[in-house]
Amino acid sequence: MPTIDNKNETDELLAIRCQLGEPAAFDDLISRWHGPLWAFVRRLAGTDDAAGEILQDVWIRVLRGIPRLREASKLRAWLFGIARRTLMDRLRDQYARAPAVEIDVEQIAVESSVDEVDDLVVLEEALDGLPLIEREAVSLFYLEELSLNEIAETLGVPVGTVKSRLHRARRLLRQAISKRG
Amino acid sequence: MRHPVPPAAVLQELRELTATELSLPSRLRYLCLLLAAATMTAIVTALLLTEAALPVRTSIALEALAVIGVSWVIFAAWVLTRKRVLLNSHRIVAGRLAVTFCSVFTIGAVALGFAMSSAAAFAAAAMGIAMLAVAIVLLVRARRRFASLSKRRAELERALDGRLS
Repeated sequence: MPTIDNKNETDELLAIRCQLGEPAAFDDLISRWHGPLWAFVRRLAGTDDAAGEILQDVWIRVLRGIPRLREASKLRAWLFGIARRTLMDRLRDQYARAPAVEIDVEQIAVESSVDEVDDLVVLEEALDGLPLIEREAVSLFYLEELSLNEIAETLGVPVGTVKSRLHRARRLLRQAISKRG
Repeated sequence: MRHPVPPAAVLQELRELTATELSLPSRLRYLCLLLAAATMTAIVTALLLTEAALPVRTSIALEALAVIGVSWVIFAAWVLTRKRVLLNSHRIVAGRLAVTFCSVFTIGAVALGFAMSSAAAFAAAAMGIAMLAVAIVLLVRARRRFASLSKRRAELERALDGRLS
Protein backbone atom coordinates (compact mmCIF):
# COMPACT_ATOMS: atom_id res chain seq x y z
CA MET A 1 0.00 0.00 0.00
CA PRO A 2 1.48 3.42 -0.97
CA THR A 3 2.45 5.71 1.91
CA ILE A 4 1.46 9.39 2.07
CA ASP A 5 5.03 10.39 1.10
CA ASN A 6 4.95 8.04 -1.88
CA LYS A 7 1.55 9.39 -2.96
CA ASN A 8 2.71 13.01 -2.76
CA GLU A 9 5.94 12.29 -4.61
CA THR A 10 4.12 10.25 -7.25
CA ASP A 11 1.74 13.18 -7.80
CA GLU A 12 4.61 15.66 -7.98
CA LEU A 13 6.41 13.47 -10.49
CA LEU A 14 3.24 13.21 -12.57
CA ALA A 15 2.74 16.99 -12.57
CA ILE A 16 6.38 17.57 -13.59
CA ARG A 17 6.15 15.05 -16.42
CA CYS A 18 3.04 16.91 -17.66
CA GLN A 19 4.76 20.29 -17.39
CA LEU A 20 7.70 18.92 -19.37
CA GLY A 21 5.22 18.00 -22.12
CA GLU A 22 5.44 14.21 -22.06
CA PRO A 23 2.28 12.97 -23.85
CA ALA A 24 2.06 9.70 -21.85
CA ALA A 25 2.02 11.70 -18.61
CA PHE A 26 -1.40 13.14 -19.47
CA ASP A 27 -2.80 9.62 -19.96
CA ASP A 28 -1.36 8.71 -16.55
CA LEU A 29 -2.81 11.89 -15.01
CA ILE A 30 -6.27 11.06 -16.36
CA SER A 31 -6.03 7.39 -15.36
CA ARG A 32 -5.03 8.34 -11.82
CA TRP A 33 -7.31 11.31 -11.16
CA HIS A 34 -10.38 11.02 -13.36
CA GLY A 35 -12.08 8.51 -11.01
CA PRO A 36 -11.65 10.54 -7.80
CA LEU A 37 -12.59 13.80 -9.53
CA TRP A 38 -15.65 12.15 -11.07
CA ALA A 39 -16.71 10.79 -7.68
CA PHE A 40 -16.31 14.22 -6.06
CA VAL A 41 -18.17 16.12 -8.81
CA ARG A 42 -20.85 13.43 -9.23
CA ARG A 43 -21.69 13.59 -5.53
CA LEU A 44 -22.15 17.35 -5.67
CA ALA A 45 -23.68 17.67 -9.16
CA GLY A 46 -26.42 15.08 -8.65
CA THR A 47 -26.55 13.41 -12.10
CA ASP A 48 -24.16 11.58 -14.44
CA ASP A 49 -24.89 14.00 -17.29
CA ALA A 50 -24.17 17.10 -15.22
CA ALA A 51 -21.03 15.52 -13.79
CA GLY A 52 -19.83 14.54 -17.30
CA GLU A 53 -20.23 18.11 -18.60
CA ILE A 54 -18.53 19.63 -15.58
CA LEU A 55 -15.66 17.13 -15.75
CA GLN A 56 -14.97 18.08 -19.39
CA ASP A 57 -14.60 21.72 -18.31
CA VAL A 58 -12.47 20.66 -15.37
CA TRP A 59 -10.05 18.76 -17.59
CA ILE A 60 -9.83 21.60 -20.12
CA ARG A 61 -8.91 23.94 -17.26
CA VAL A 62 -6.39 21.42 -15.97
CA LEU A 63 -4.71 20.96 -19.36
CA ARG A 64 -4.55 24.71 -19.92
CA GLY A 65 -3.46 25.53 -16.40
CA ILE A 66 -0.85 22.89 -15.64
CA PRO A 67 2.13 24.88 -17.03
CA ARG A 68 1.31 27.57 -14.43
CA LEU A 69 1.11 25.15 -11.49
CA ARG A 70 3.99 26.44 -9.33
CA GLU A 71 4.11 23.80 -6.64
CA ALA A 72 3.81 20.46 -8.39
CA SER A 73 3.66 18.73 -4.98
CA LYS A 74 0.22 20.32 -4.43
CA LEU A 75 -1.30 18.64 -7.47
CA ARG A 76 -4.14 17.01 -5.50
CA ALA A 77 -5.37 20.21 -3.86
CA TRP A 78 -4.98 22.05 -7.18
CA LEU A 79 -7.08 19.48 -9.09
CA PHE A 80 -9.89 19.42 -6.53
CA GLY A 81 -9.76 23.23 -6.33
CA ILE A 82 -10.35 23.45 -10.09
CA ALA A 83 -13.18 20.89 -9.87
CA ARG A 84 -14.83 22.88 -7.09
CA ARG A 85 -14.51 26.23 -8.88
CA THR A 86 -15.89 24.74 -12.11
CA LEU A 87 -18.83 23.25 -10.22
CA MET A 88 -19.56 26.54 -8.44
CA ASP A 89 -19.35 28.49 -11.73
CA ARG A 90 -21.83 26.02 -13.25
CA LEU A 91 -24.24 26.31 -10.31
CA ARG A 92 -24.00 30.11 -10.39
CA ASP A 93 -24.75 30.20 -14.15
CA GLN A 94 -27.56 27.69 -13.79
CA TYR A 95 -29.36 29.56 -11.05
CA ALA A 96 -28.65 33.01 -12.49
CA ARG A 97 -30.68 31.94 -15.53
CA ALA A 98 -33.67 30.84 -13.44
CA PRO A 99 -36.02 33.89 -13.28
CA ALA A 100 -37.20 35.41 -9.98
CA VAL A 101 -35.95 32.62 -7.79
CA GLU A 102 -34.25 33.37 -4.50
CA ILE A 103 -30.83 31.70 -4.68
CA ASP A 104 -29.94 29.56 -1.70
CA VAL A 105 -27.12 27.23 -2.70
CA GLU A 106 -27.37 25.18 0.50
CA GLN A 107 -31.09 24.61 -0.02
CA ILE A 108 -30.50 23.76 -3.68
CA ALA A 109 -27.93 21.18 -2.65
CA VAL A 110 -30.37 19.61 -0.20
CA GLU A 111 -33.10 19.49 -2.84
CA SER A 112 -30.76 18.03 -5.46
CA SER A 113 -29.99 14.96 -3.40
CA VAL A 114 -30.28 11.70 -5.27
CA ASP A 115 -33.55 10.38 -3.88
CA GLU A 116 -34.60 8.45 -6.95
CA VAL A 117 -32.01 5.72 -6.53
CA ASP A 118 -33.59 2.87 -4.55
CA ASP A 119 -30.66 0.92 -3.25
CA LEU A 120 -28.75 3.69 -1.44
CA VAL A 121 -27.54 2.86 2.04
CA VAL A 122 -28.67 5.12 4.90
CA LEU A 123 -25.30 6.82 5.30
CA GLU A 124 -25.14 7.68 1.63
CA GLU A 125 -28.65 9.15 1.75
CA ALA A 126 -27.65 11.19 4.75
CA LEU A 127 -24.53 12.38 2.94
CA ASP A 128 -26.55 13.39 -0.11
CA GLY A 129 -28.87 15.32 2.19
CA LEU A 130 -26.07 17.45 3.59
CA PRO A 131 -25.84 21.07 2.47
CA LEU A 132 -23.30 21.57 -0.36
CA ILE A 133 -20.72 23.26 1.85
CA GLU A 134 -20.60 20.39 4.35
CA ARG A 135 -20.97 17.70 1.70
CA GLU A 136 -17.86 18.83 -0.20
CA ALA A 137 -15.81 18.96 3.03
CA VAL A 138 -16.93 15.42 3.99
CA SER A 139 -16.32 14.10 0.45
CA LEU A 140 -12.81 15.52 0.34
CA PHE A 141 -11.85 14.40 3.87
CA TYR A 142 -13.41 10.95 4.22
CA LEU A 143 -13.87 9.77 0.65
CA GLU A 144 -10.99 11.39 -1.25
CA GLU A 145 -8.70 11.30 1.81
CA LEU A 146 -7.28 14.80 1.44
CA SER A 147 -5.56 16.25 4.51
CA LEU A 148 -7.06 19.22 6.37
CA ASN A 149 -4.41 21.50 4.84
CA GLU A 150 -5.14 20.23 1.33
CA ILE A 151 -8.87 20.75 1.83
CA ALA A 152 -8.23 24.28 3.10
CA GLU A 153 -6.21 25.01 -0.08
CA THR A 154 -8.86 23.40 -2.28
CA LEU A 155 -11.71 25.37 -0.74
CA GLY A 156 -9.72 28.57 -0.20
CA VAL A 157 -10.63 28.78 3.51
CA PRO A 158 -8.60 28.51 6.75
CA VAL A 159 -8.02 25.07 8.31
CA GLY A 160 -10.20 26.08 11.28
CA THR A 161 -13.15 26.63 8.92
CA VAL A 162 -12.63 23.17 7.42
CA LYS A 163 -12.67 21.66 10.92
CA SER A 164 -15.89 23.47 11.83
CA ARG A 165 -17.55 22.37 8.57
CA LEU A 166 -16.55 18.76 9.26
CA HIS A 167 -17.84 19.06 12.82
CA ARG A 168 -21.18 20.44 11.60
CA ALA A 169 -21.35 17.74 8.90
CA ARG A 170 -20.80 14.98 11.46
CA ARG A 171 -23.54 16.45 13.66
CA LEU A 172 -25.99 16.68 10.73
CA LEU A 173 -25.15 13.12 9.64
CA ARG A 174 -25.75 11.82 13.18
CA GLN A 175 -29.12 13.62 13.29
CA ALA A 176 -30.15 12.32 9.86
CA ILE A 177 -29.18 8.74 10.68
CA SER A 178 -30.89 8.78 14.10
CA LYS A 179 -34.12 10.14 12.51
CA ARG A 180 -34.18 7.23 10.07
CA GLY A 181 -33.07 4.60 12.50
CA MET B 1 -19.91 3.19 0.78
CA ARG B 2 -20.64 3.15 -2.96
CA HIS B 3 -18.06 5.20 -4.89
CA PRO B 4 -19.45 6.77 -8.10
CA VAL B 5 -17.63 5.35 -11.12
CA PRO B 6 -17.26 7.38 -14.36
CA PRO B 7 -18.91 5.85 -17.45
CA ALA B 8 -16.37 4.44 -19.94
CA ALA B 9 -17.64 6.78 -22.71
CA VAL B 10 -16.70 9.83 -20.64
CA LEU B 11 -13.13 8.58 -20.32
CA GLN B 12 -12.89 7.97 -24.07
CA GLU B 13 -14.22 11.47 -24.85
CA LEU B 14 -11.70 12.84 -22.41
CA ARG B 15 -8.76 11.12 -24.11
CA GLU B 16 -9.89 12.57 -27.46
CA LEU B 17 -10.22 16.01 -25.88
CA THR B 18 -6.71 15.72 -24.45
CA ALA B 19 -5.25 14.75 -27.83
CA THR B 20 -6.84 17.84 -29.40
CA GLU B 21 -5.87 20.15 -26.56
CA LEU B 22 -2.24 19.05 -26.64
CA SER B 23 -1.66 18.87 -30.40
CA LEU B 24 1.65 20.47 -31.43
CA PRO B 25 0.62 21.44 -35.02
CA SER B 26 -2.20 23.69 -33.76
CA ARG B 27 0.31 25.49 -31.52
CA LEU B 28 2.80 25.88 -34.34
CA ARG B 29 0.12 27.47 -36.53
CA TYR B 30 -0.41 30.19 -33.92
CA LEU B 31 3.36 30.59 -33.50
CA CYS B 32 3.69 31.11 -37.28
CA LEU B 33 0.84 33.63 -37.14
CA LEU B 34 2.62 35.49 -34.34
CA LEU B 35 5.95 35.59 -36.19
CA ALA B 36 4.37 36.62 -39.49
CA ALA B 37 2.32 39.37 -37.82
CA ALA B 38 5.37 40.63 -35.90
CA THR B 39 7.43 40.71 -39.11
CA MET B 40 4.75 42.57 -41.03
CA THR B 41 4.40 45.07 -38.20
CA ALA B 42 8.18 45.59 -38.09
CA ILE B 43 8.40 46.24 -41.84
CA VAL B 44 5.41 48.60 -41.89
CA THR B 45 6.65 50.49 -38.82
CA ALA B 46 10.14 50.79 -40.38
CA LEU B 47 8.59 52.35 -43.50
CA LEU B 48 6.51 54.76 -41.41
CA LEU B 49 9.56 55.84 -39.40
CA THR B 50 11.96 56.31 -42.30
CA GLU B 51 9.85 57.49 -45.24
CA ALA B 52 9.22 61.13 -44.38
CA ALA B 53 7.53 62.20 -47.61
CA LEU B 54 4.71 59.67 -47.73
CA PRO B 55 1.29 60.94 -48.90
CA VAL B 56 -1.23 61.27 -46.06
CA ARG B 57 -3.42 58.46 -47.39
CA THR B 58 -0.43 56.10 -47.62
CA SER B 59 0.60 56.98 -44.07
CA ILE B 60 -2.92 56.27 -42.80
CA ALA B 61 -2.98 52.95 -44.67
CA LEU B 62 0.39 51.92 -43.22
CA GLU B 63 -0.69 52.94 -39.71
CA ALA B 64 -3.83 50.84 -40.12
CA LEU B 65 -1.69 47.90 -41.25
CA ALA B 66 0.58 48.34 -38.21
CA VAL B 67 -2.45 48.32 -35.88
CA ILE B 68 -3.78 45.18 -37.58
CA GLY B 69 -0.36 43.54 -37.24
CA VAL B 70 -0.15 44.37 -33.52
CA SER B 71 -3.70 43.03 -33.03
CA TRP B 72 -2.73 39.71 -34.62
CA VAL B 73 0.40 39.53 -32.45
CA ILE B 74 -1.72 40.09 -29.31
CA PHE B 75 -4.31 37.54 -30.42
CA ALA B 76 -1.71 34.84 -31.20
CA ALA B 77 0.12 35.53 -27.91
CA TRP B 78 -3.20 35.26 -26.03
CA VAL B 79 -4.02 31.92 -27.67
CA LEU B 80 -0.54 30.55 -26.90
CA THR B 81 -0.72 31.57 -23.24
CA ARG B 82 -4.39 30.80 -22.50
CA LYS B 83 -5.94 28.42 -25.02
CA ARG B 84 -3.22 26.35 -26.67
CA VAL B 85 -0.78 26.71 -23.81
CA LEU B 86 2.84 25.84 -24.45
CA LEU B 87 4.22 23.05 -22.29
CA ASN B 88 7.96 23.05 -21.67
CA SER B 89 8.86 20.89 -24.68
CA HIS B 90 6.62 23.06 -26.89
CA ARG B 91 8.31 26.21 -25.56
CA ILE B 92 11.72 24.92 -26.56
CA VAL B 93 10.52 24.07 -30.08
CA ALA B 94 8.75 27.44 -30.34
CA GLY B 95 11.83 29.28 -29.01
CA ARG B 96 14.14 27.61 -31.53
CA LEU B 97 11.77 28.40 -34.39
CA ALA B 98 11.44 32.02 -33.26
CA VAL B 99 15.22 32.47 -32.94
CA THR B 100 15.79 30.98 -36.41
CA PHE B 101 13.03 33.06 -37.99
CA CYS B 102 14.14 36.33 -36.35
CA SER B 103 17.79 35.67 -37.26
CA VAL B 104 16.92 35.11 -40.93
CA PHE B 105 14.71 38.22 -40.93
CA THR B 106 17.40 40.40 -39.31
CA ILE B 107 20.22 39.16 -41.55
CA GLY B 108 18.00 39.70 -44.61
CA ALA B 109 17.12 43.23 -43.53
CA VAL B 110 20.78 44.11 -42.84
CA ALA B 111 21.84 42.69 -46.23
CA LEU B 112 19.08 44.62 -47.98
CA GLY B 113 20.09 47.76 -46.09
CA PHE B 114 23.70 47.53 -47.30
CA ALA B 115 22.79 46.47 -50.84
CA MET B 116 20.24 49.24 -51.39
CA SER B 117 21.44 51.80 -48.83
CA SER B 118 17.89 51.69 -47.50
CA ALA B 119 17.16 53.41 -44.19
CA ALA B 120 13.86 51.48 -43.93
CA ALA B 121 15.75 48.16 -44.19
CA PHE B 122 18.12 49.22 -41.39
CA ALA B 123 15.16 50.29 -39.23
CA ALA B 124 13.53 46.89 -39.91
CA ALA B 125 16.83 45.23 -38.97
CA ALA B 126 16.85 47.13 -35.66
CA MET B 127 13.35 45.84 -34.92
CA GLY B 128 14.48 42.38 -36.03
CA ILE B 129 17.28 42.55 -33.44
CA ALA B 130 14.74 43.46 -30.74
CA MET B 131 12.53 40.51 -31.78
CA LEU B 132 15.59 38.23 -31.81
CA ALA B 133 16.50 39.37 -28.28
CA VAL B 134 12.99 38.53 -27.04
CA ALA B 135 13.13 35.11 -28.78
CA ILE B 136 16.54 34.34 -27.22
CA VAL B 137 15.32 35.31 -23.72
CA LEU B 138 12.25 33.06 -24.11
CA LEU B 139 14.38 30.15 -25.37
CA VAL B 140 16.90 30.51 -22.52
CA ARG B 141 14.08 30.64 -19.95
CA ALA B 142 12.46 27.53 -21.46
CA ARG B 143 15.78 25.64 -21.35
CA ARG B 144 16.42 26.68 -17.73
CA ARG B 145 12.94 25.56 -16.76
CA PHE B 146 13.53 22.27 -18.60
CA ALA B 147 16.78 21.75 -16.68
CA SER B 148 15.17 22.50 -13.31
CA LEU B 149 12.12 20.28 -13.97
CA SER B 150 14.33 17.45 -15.27
CA LYS B 151 16.55 17.66 -12.18
CA ARG B 152 13.55 17.45 -9.84
CA ARG B 153 12.10 14.62 -11.90
CA ALA B 154 15.34 12.62 -11.57
CA GLU B 155 15.40 13.23 -7.78
CA LEU B 156 11.81 12.03 -7.41
CA GLU B 157 12.40 8.97 -9.59
CA ARG B 158 15.47 8.05 -7.52
CA ALA B 159 13.54 8.52 -4.26
CA LEU B 160 10.59 6.43 -5.44
CA ASP B 161 12.83 3.69 -6.91
CA GLY B 162 14.82 3.61 -3.66
CA ARG B 163 11.67 2.99 -1.63
CA LEU B 164 10.38 0.30 -3.95
CA SER B 165 13.65 -1.70 -4.03
